Amino acid sequence: MASYTKAAQQWATFARAWYLLDAKMQPPGKIAAATVMRLEGKHKPIYHALNDCGDHVVIINTRHIAFSGNKWEQKVYSSHTGYPGGFKQVTATQLHLKDPTAIVKLTVYRMLPKNLQRRTMMQRLHLFPEDVIPEDIEKNLLQEIPQPRAVPKRLDEYTPEEIAAFPKIWTPPKDFRRSQPFYTEFDR
Amino acid sequence: MAAPSLLRGGLRRLFTGLFGNGWASPPARTLREVVEVTKGNTTTIEGRIIEDAETPTPPNPSGQCPICRWNLKHKYDYVDVLLLSQFIRSDGGMLPRRITGLCLEEHKKIAVCVQMAHRAGLLPDHRPPLPEGHIPKKPKLNRYLTRWSIKSAKPIWRRGPKWCKKPFPVGHPLLKDNVKYTHKLLCFNH
Repeated sequence: MASYTKAAQQWATFARAWYLLDAKMQPPGKIAAATVMRLEGKHKPIYHALNDCGDHVVIINTRHIAFSGNKWEQKVYSSHTGYPGGFKQVTATQLHLKDPTAIVKLTVYRMLPKNLQRRTMMQRLHLFPEDVIPEDIEKNLLQEIPQPRAVPKRLDEYTPEEIAAFPKIWTPPKDFRRSQPFYTEFDR
Repeated sequence: MAAPSLLRGGLRRLFTGLFGNGWASPPARTLREVVEVTKGNTTTIEGRIIEDAETPTPPNPSGQCPICRWNLKHKYDYVDVLLLSQFIRSDGGMLPRRITGLCLEEHKKIAVCVQMAHRAGLLPDHRPPLPEGHIPKKPKLNRYLTRWSIKSAKPIWRRGPKWCKKPFPVGHPLLKDNVKYTHKLLCFNH
Protein backbone atom coordinates (compact mmCIF):
# COMPACT_ATOMS: atom_id res chain seq x y z
CA MET A 1 0.00 0.00 0.00
CA ALA A 2 2.79 2.48 0.70
CA SER A 3 4.50 1.83 -2.67
CA TYR A 4 1.44 2.14 -4.98
CA THR A 5 0.48 5.40 -6.66
CA LYS A 6 -2.91 6.84 -5.77
CA ALA A 7 -4.21 6.12 -9.25
CA ALA A 8 -3.08 2.51 -9.18
CA GLN A 9 -4.64 1.98 -5.74
CA GLN A 10 -7.93 3.46 -6.84
CA TRP A 11 -7.93 1.28 -9.93
CA ALA A 12 -7.26 -1.83 -7.83
CA THR A 13 -10.06 -0.93 -5.39
CA PHE A 14 -12.78 -0.30 -7.97
CA ALA A 15 -11.79 -2.85 -10.65
CA ARG A 16 -14.06 -5.79 -11.33
CA ALA A 17 -12.30 -9.07 -10.40
CA TRP A 18 -12.83 -12.58 -11.77
CA TYR A 19 -13.09 -15.43 -9.26
CA LEU A 20 -13.00 -19.19 -9.88
CA LEU A 21 -14.97 -21.76 -7.86
CA ASP A 22 -14.74 -25.53 -8.26
CA ALA A 23 -18.12 -27.12 -7.54
CA LYS A 24 -16.88 -30.74 -7.56
CA MET A 25 -18.54 -32.74 -4.70
CA GLN A 26 -19.94 -29.49 -3.24
CA PRO A 27 -23.56 -28.79 -2.24
CA PRO A 28 -25.11 -26.21 -4.63
CA GLY A 29 -26.56 -24.17 -1.73
CA LYS A 30 -23.15 -23.46 -0.18
CA ILE A 31 -21.66 -22.77 -3.64
CA ALA A 32 -24.43 -20.27 -4.30
CA ALA A 33 -23.94 -18.57 -0.92
CA ALA A 34 -20.26 -17.94 -1.69
CA THR A 35 -20.94 -16.73 -5.24
CA VAL A 36 -23.79 -14.42 -4.20
CA MET A 37 -21.42 -12.67 -1.75
CA ARG A 38 -18.98 -12.02 -4.59
CA LEU A 39 -21.61 -11.09 -7.19
CA GLU A 40 -23.17 -8.46 -4.95
CA GLY A 41 -19.78 -7.10 -3.87
CA LYS A 42 -20.46 -7.63 -0.17
CA HIS A 43 -16.92 -8.97 0.30
CA LYS A 44 -15.58 -5.42 -0.35
CA PRO A 45 -15.38 -2.62 2.24
CA ILE A 46 -16.53 -0.16 -0.47
CA TYR A 47 -19.86 -1.98 -0.88
CA HIS A 48 -23.01 0.01 -1.53
CA ALA A 49 -26.15 -1.26 -3.26
CA LEU A 50 -25.93 1.49 -5.92
CA ASN A 51 -22.16 1.17 -6.39
CA ASP A 52 -22.26 -1.66 -8.98
CA CYS A 53 -19.20 -3.20 -7.29
CA GLY A 54 -19.99 -6.85 -8.01
CA ASP A 55 -17.36 -9.20 -9.41
CA HIS A 56 -17.44 -12.01 -11.95
CA VAL A 57 -17.60 -15.60 -10.72
CA VAL A 58 -16.76 -18.62 -12.87
CA ILE A 59 -18.09 -21.94 -11.52
CA ILE A 60 -16.62 -25.12 -13.03
CA ASN A 61 -17.58 -28.82 -12.63
CA THR A 62 -21.27 -28.05 -12.04
CA ARG A 63 -22.02 -31.52 -13.36
CA HIS A 64 -20.33 -32.99 -10.27
CA ILE A 65 -22.23 -31.20 -7.52
CA ALA A 66 -23.34 -33.29 -4.52
CA PHE A 67 -26.66 -32.94 -2.73
CA SER A 68 -26.90 -33.93 0.92
CA GLY A 69 -29.66 -36.32 1.97
CA ASN A 70 -32.04 -37.69 -0.66
CA LYS A 71 -32.52 -34.34 -2.39
CA TRP A 72 -31.66 -35.78 -5.80
CA GLU A 73 -34.89 -37.78 -5.57
CA GLN A 74 -36.97 -35.52 -3.33
CA LYS A 75 -36.26 -31.97 -4.53
CA VAL A 76 -38.69 -30.82 -7.20
CA TYR A 77 -38.20 -27.83 -9.52
CA SER A 78 -41.53 -26.41 -10.68
CA SER A 79 -42.33 -23.95 -13.43
CA HIS A 80 -45.36 -22.80 -15.43
CA THR A 81 -45.25 -21.93 -19.08
CA GLY A 82 -48.15 -19.49 -18.70
CA TYR A 83 -50.46 -21.57 -20.86
CA PRO A 84 -53.25 -23.67 -19.32
CA GLY A 85 -52.03 -27.13 -18.40
CA GLY A 86 -48.46 -25.88 -18.55
CA PHE A 87 -47.45 -26.67 -14.96
CA LYS A 88 -44.20 -28.63 -15.21
CA GLN A 89 -42.59 -30.38 -12.24
CA VAL A 90 -39.21 -32.02 -12.61
CA THR A 91 -37.05 -33.79 -9.99
CA ALA A 92 -33.49 -32.57 -9.41
CA THR A 93 -32.11 -35.73 -11.07
CA GLN A 94 -34.10 -35.19 -14.27
CA LEU A 95 -33.24 -31.49 -14.42
CA HIS A 96 -29.54 -32.20 -13.85
CA LEU A 97 -29.43 -34.81 -16.60
CA LYS A 98 -31.18 -32.45 -18.99
CA ASP A 99 -28.96 -29.43 -18.17
CA PRO A 100 -26.00 -29.83 -15.79
CA THR A 101 -25.74 -26.10 -15.04
CA ALA A 102 -29.44 -25.48 -14.35
CA ILE A 103 -29.44 -26.41 -10.66
CA VAL A 104 -26.58 -24.07 -9.72
CA LYS A 105 -28.03 -21.31 -11.93
CA LEU A 106 -31.46 -21.53 -10.29
CA THR A 107 -29.94 -21.69 -6.80
CA VAL A 108 -27.85 -18.55 -7.38
CA TYR A 109 -30.76 -16.72 -9.04
CA ARG A 110 -33.05 -17.40 -6.10
CA MET A 111 -30.40 -16.38 -3.53
CA LEU A 112 -29.67 -12.99 -5.14
CA PRO A 113 -31.66 -9.97 -3.88
CA LYS A 114 -34.94 -9.66 -5.76
CA ASN A 115 -34.25 -6.32 -7.44
CA LEU A 116 -33.42 -5.04 -10.92
CA GLN A 117 -29.70 -5.65 -10.40
CA ARG A 118 -30.29 -9.39 -10.17
CA ARG A 119 -30.23 -9.82 -13.96
CA THR A 120 -26.96 -7.92 -14.36
CA MET A 121 -25.42 -9.99 -11.58
CA MET A 122 -26.56 -13.21 -13.31
CA GLN A 123 -24.84 -11.98 -16.47
CA ARG A 124 -21.61 -11.81 -14.46
CA LEU A 125 -22.01 -15.46 -13.41
CA HIS A 126 -20.35 -18.01 -15.74
CA LEU A 127 -21.20 -21.70 -15.35
CA PHE A 128 -19.38 -24.62 -16.95
CA PRO A 129 -20.39 -28.27 -16.52
CA GLU A 130 -16.80 -29.62 -16.72
CA ASP A 131 -13.44 -27.96 -16.04
CA VAL A 132 -13.08 -26.85 -19.67
CA ILE A 133 -13.09 -23.03 -19.77
CA PRO A 134 -12.75 -20.77 -22.82
CA GLU A 135 -9.30 -19.19 -23.06
CA ASP A 136 -10.40 -15.56 -22.73
CA ILE A 137 -12.19 -16.26 -19.44
CA GLU A 138 -9.25 -18.29 -18.17
CA LYS A 139 -6.93 -15.35 -18.77
CA ASN A 140 -9.10 -13.07 -16.65
CA LEU A 141 -9.20 -15.24 -13.53
CA LEU A 142 -7.65 -13.64 -10.48
CA GLN A 143 -8.26 -15.87 -7.47
CA GLU A 144 -9.88 -19.15 -6.51
CA ILE A 145 -12.61 -19.16 -3.87
CA PRO A 146 -11.98 -21.97 -1.30
CA GLN A 147 -14.45 -24.88 -1.46
CA PRO A 148 -17.15 -24.64 1.24
CA ARG A 149 -17.29 -28.37 2.03
CA ALA A 150 -14.31 -30.58 2.96
CA VAL A 151 -14.47 -33.53 0.54
CA PRO A 152 -13.97 -36.84 2.45
CA LYS A 153 -11.32 -39.34 1.32
CA ARG A 154 -12.46 -42.61 -0.21
CA LEU A 155 -11.07 -45.88 1.14
CA ASP A 156 -8.89 -46.49 -1.92
CA GLU A 157 -7.41 -42.97 -1.60
CA TYR A 158 -5.73 -43.85 1.71
CA THR A 159 -2.12 -45.02 1.42
CA PRO A 160 -1.32 -48.55 2.71
CA GLU A 161 0.85 -46.94 5.43
CA GLU A 162 -2.12 -44.96 6.74
CA ILE A 163 -4.31 -48.06 6.68
CA ALA A 164 -1.65 -50.06 8.56
CA ALA A 165 -1.16 -47.26 11.10
CA PHE A 166 -4.87 -47.34 12.02
CA PRO A 167 -5.25 -49.90 14.87
CA LYS A 168 -7.57 -52.90 14.65
CA ILE A 169 -10.48 -52.17 16.96
CA TRP A 170 -11.53 -55.79 17.44
CA THR A 171 -10.01 -59.22 16.81
CA PRO A 172 -12.15 -62.04 15.43
CA PRO A 173 -12.51 -65.15 17.65
CA LYS A 174 -10.25 -68.12 16.80
CA ASP A 175 -13.05 -70.23 15.36
CA PHE A 176 -14.50 -67.49 13.15
CA ARG A 177 -14.49 -68.50 9.53
CA ARG A 178 -15.11 -65.71 7.01
CA SER A 179 -18.24 -67.31 5.56
CA GLN A 180 -19.54 -66.87 2.06
CA PRO A 181 -22.32 -64.34 1.55
CA PHE A 182 -25.79 -65.84 1.91
CA TYR A 183 -26.47 -66.13 -1.77
CA THR A 184 -24.23 -67.90 -4.25
CA GLU A 185 -24.43 -68.25 -8.01
CA PHE A 186 -26.71 -71.28 -7.71
CA ASP A 187 -29.27 -69.45 -5.63
CA ARG A 188 -30.73 -67.31 -8.40
CA MET B 1 -37.01 -79.67 -11.83
CA ALA B 2 -38.96 -77.64 -9.31
CA ALA B 3 -37.98 -79.64 -6.18
CA PRO B 4 -34.13 -79.25 -6.33
CA SER B 5 -34.44 -75.54 -7.14
CA LEU B 6 -36.72 -75.09 -4.10
CA LEU B 7 -34.12 -76.67 -1.86
CA ARG B 8 -31.31 -74.64 -3.41
CA GLY B 9 -33.08 -71.42 -2.60
CA GLY B 10 -33.59 -69.82 0.78
CA LEU B 11 -35.15 -73.03 2.14
CA ARG B 12 -31.69 -74.60 2.27
CA ARG B 13 -30.79 -72.63 5.39
CA LEU B 14 -33.99 -73.74 7.17
CA PHE B 15 -33.38 -77.41 6.36
CA THR B 16 -29.71 -77.45 7.44
CA GLY B 17 -30.76 -76.03 10.79
CA LEU B 18 -33.46 -78.65 11.26
CA PHE B 19 -31.17 -81.59 10.50
CA GLY B 20 -28.53 -80.52 13.05
CA ASN B 21 -28.98 -79.54 16.72
CA GLY B 22 -31.10 -76.43 16.18
CA TRP B 23 -28.87 -73.56 14.95
CA ALA B 24 -25.52 -74.84 16.31
CA SER B 25 -22.84 -74.61 13.63
CA PRO B 26 -20.32 -77.45 13.21
CA PRO B 27 -17.02 -76.87 15.11
CA ALA B 28 -14.84 -74.77 12.83
CA ARG B 29 -11.06 -74.93 12.78
CA THR B 30 -8.95 -71.82 12.42
CA LEU B 31 -7.78 -70.62 9.04
CA ARG B 32 -4.41 -72.06 8.13
CA GLU B 33 -1.84 -70.98 5.63
CA VAL B 34 -0.74 -73.71 3.21
CA VAL B 35 3.08 -73.98 3.03
CA GLU B 36 4.81 -76.36 0.65
CA VAL B 37 8.45 -77.25 1.39
CA THR B 38 10.51 -79.52 -0.91
CA LYS B 39 13.65 -81.14 0.70
CA GLY B 40 15.40 -83.51 -1.67
CA ASN B 41 12.77 -86.02 -2.76
CA THR B 42 10.26 -85.32 0.08
CA THR B 43 7.64 -82.59 -0.26
CA THR B 44 6.05 -81.43 3.00
CA ILE B 45 2.71 -79.64 2.66
CA GLU B 46 1.88 -78.01 5.97
CA GLY B 47 -1.04 -75.97 7.18
CA ARG B 48 0.34 -73.33 9.56
CA ILE B 49 -2.00 -71.41 11.87
CA ILE B 50 -1.87 -67.69 11.06
CA GLU B 51 -0.83 -65.76 14.15
CA ASP B 52 -2.50 -62.33 14.34
CA ALA B 53 -0.22 -59.31 14.57
CA GLU B 54 0.14 -57.69 17.99
CA THR B 55 -2.68 -55.16 18.47
CA PRO B 56 -1.91 -52.20 20.76
CA THR B 57 -3.76 -52.14 24.09
CA PRO B 58 -6.91 -49.97 23.99
CA PRO B 59 -6.97 -46.86 26.22
CA ASN B 60 -9.98 -48.14 28.18
CA PRO B 61 -9.66 -51.96 28.53
CA SER B 62 -12.68 -52.16 30.87
CA GLY B 63 -15.13 -51.26 28.10
CA GLN B 64 -17.80 -53.72 26.97
CA CYS B 65 -17.66 -53.12 23.22
CA PRO B 66 -14.66 -52.23 21.01
CA ILE B 67 -15.91 -48.64 20.58
CA CYS B 68 -16.05 -48.03 24.35
CA ARG B 69 -12.64 -49.66 24.79
CA TRP B 70 -11.06 -47.26 22.32
CA ASN B 71 -13.01 -44.20 23.64
CA LEU B 72 -14.70 -43.58 20.29
CA LYS B 73 -18.25 -43.49 21.65
CA HIS B 74 -19.60 -40.32 20.01
CA LYS B 75 -16.61 -39.50 17.86
CA TYR B 76 -17.07 -41.21 14.49
CA ASP B 77 -19.07 -40.35 11.40
CA TYR B 78 -19.76 -41.69 7.88
CA VAL B 79 -16.43 -40.13 6.81
CA ASP B 80 -14.26 -42.37 9.04
CA VAL B 81 -13.91 -45.12 6.49
CA LEU B 82 -10.84 -46.68 8.14
CA LEU B 83 -12.94 -47.46 11.22
CA LEU B 84 -16.09 -48.51 9.35
CA SER B 85 -14.22 -50.85 6.99
CA GLN B 86 -13.22 -53.03 9.95
CA PHE B 87 -16.86 -54.00 10.53
CA ILE B 88 -17.93 -54.85 6.97
CA ARG B 89 -17.61 -57.88 4.73
CA SER B 90 -15.90 -57.73 1.36
CA ASP B 91 -19.27 -57.36 -0.39
CA GLY B 92 -20.25 -54.39 1.77
CA GLY B 93 -22.57 -56.04 4.30
CA MET B 94 -22.17 -55.63 8.07
CA LEU B 95 -20.61 -58.37 10.18
CA PRO B 96 -22.87 -59.89 12.85
CA ARG B 97 -22.88 -58.33 16.32
CA ARG B 98 -22.07 -61.62 18.08
CA ILE B 99 -18.78 -61.76 16.15
CA THR B 100 -17.65 -58.14 16.39
CA GLY B 101 -18.75 -57.76 20.02
CA LEU B 102 -20.40 -54.34 19.59
CA CYS B 103 -23.24 -53.21 21.83
CA LEU B 104 -26.64 -52.82 20.14
CA GLU B 105 -26.72 -49.01 19.84
CA GLU B 106 -23.16 -48.81 18.50
CA HIS B 107 -23.88 -51.62 16.03
CA LYS B 108 -26.89 -49.68 14.73
CA LYS B 109 -24.88 -46.45 14.50
CA ILE B 110 -22.08 -48.17 12.61
CA ALA B 111 -24.63 -49.79 10.29
CA VAL B 112 -26.15 -46.38 9.56
CA CYS B 113 -22.71 -44.82 8.95
CA VAL B 114 -21.75 -47.72 6.65
CA GLN B 115 -24.96 -47.22 4.65
CA MET B 116 -24.25 -43.49 4.29
CA ALA B 117 -20.64 -44.20 3.30
CA HIS B 118 -21.79 -46.68 0.61
CA ARG B 119 -24.26 -44.17 -0.81
CA ALA B 120 -21.57 -41.45 -0.78
CA GLY B 121 -19.29 -43.76 -2.77
CA LEU B 122 -16.58 -43.87 -0.09
CA LEU B 123 -16.30 -47.70 -0.17
CA PRO B 124 -15.82 -48.45 -3.87
CA ASP B 125 -14.15 -51.87 -3.41
CA HIS B 126 -16.80 -53.36 -1.10
CA ARG B 127 -19.37 -54.12 -3.75
CA PRO B 128 -21.40 -57.35 -4.16
CA PRO B 129 -20.18 -59.54 -7.03
CA LEU B 130 -22.25 -58.89 -10.17
CA PRO B 131 -23.10 -61.93 -12.32
CA GLU B 132 -21.81 -62.23 -15.91
CA GLY B 133 -20.29 -58.75 -16.08
CA HIS B 134 -23.67 -57.02 -15.93
CA ILE B 135 -23.12 -53.27 -16.36
CA PRO B 136 -25.38 -51.03 -14.26
CA LYS B 137 -26.71 -48.11 -16.28
CA LYS B 138 -27.66 -45.76 -13.45
CA PRO B 139 -26.54 -42.10 -13.63
CA LYS B 140 -23.79 -41.63 -11.09
CA LEU B 141 -24.84 -38.63 -9.01
CA ASN B 142 -22.74 -37.47 -6.07
CA ARG B 143 -24.44 -37.46 -2.70
CA TYR B 144 -23.60 -37.53 1.02
CA LEU B 145 -25.45 -37.95 4.34
CA THR B 146 -28.27 -39.88 2.61
CA ARG B 147 -30.66 -41.31 5.19
CA TRP B 148 -33.01 -43.29 2.94
CA SER B 149 -32.13 -45.64 0.11
CA ILE B 150 -32.09 -44.18 -3.38
CA LYS B 151 -34.93 -46.31 -4.72
CA SER B 152 -37.21 -45.69 -1.74
CA ALA B 153 -37.10 -41.86 -1.78
CA LYS B 154 -40.05 -40.32 -3.62
CA PRO B 155 -40.23 -36.72 -4.92
CA ILE B 156 -41.94 -34.21 -2.63
CA TRP B 157 -44.28 -32.68 -5.21
CA ARG B 158 -45.88 -30.11 -2.85
CA ARG B 159 -43.66 -28.85 -0.06
CA GLY B 160 -46.31 -26.66 1.51
CA PRO B 161 -46.33 -23.02 2.73
CA LYS B 162 -43.38 -21.47 4.56
CA TRP B 163 -44.74 -22.12 8.04
CA CYS B 164 -45.21 -25.88 7.49
CA LYS B 165 -42.76 -26.95 4.79
CA LYS B 166 -42.04 -30.65 4.35
CA PRO B 167 -38.34 -30.97 5.21
CA PHE B 168 -35.61 -32.90 3.40
CA PRO B 169 -34.13 -35.45 5.85
CA VAL B 170 -30.32 -35.30 6.04
CA GLY B 171 -27.99 -37.44 8.14
CA HIS B 172 -29.45 -39.74 10.80
CA PRO B 173 -30.86 -38.92 14.26
CA LEU B 174 -28.90 -41.84 15.81
CA LEU B 175 -25.79 -39.69 15.41
CA LYS B 176 -27.24 -36.66 17.19
CA ASP B 177 -25.00 -37.13 20.24
CA ASN B 178 -21.78 -36.89 18.24
CA VAL B 179 -19.10 -34.55 19.56
CA LYS B 180 -19.28 -31.18 17.80
CA TYR B 181 -16.17 -29.08 17.38
CA THR B 182 -18.09 -26.01 16.13
CA HIS B 183 -20.97 -24.21 17.79
CA LYS B 184 -23.30 -24.91 14.86
CA LEU B 185 -26.42 -26.95 15.66
CA LEU B 186 -26.64 -30.32 13.92
CA CYS B 187 -29.55 -30.05 11.50
CA PHE B 188 -31.32 -33.27 10.48
CA ASN B 189 -33.98 -31.62 8.34
CA HIS B 190 -33.09 -29.17 5.60
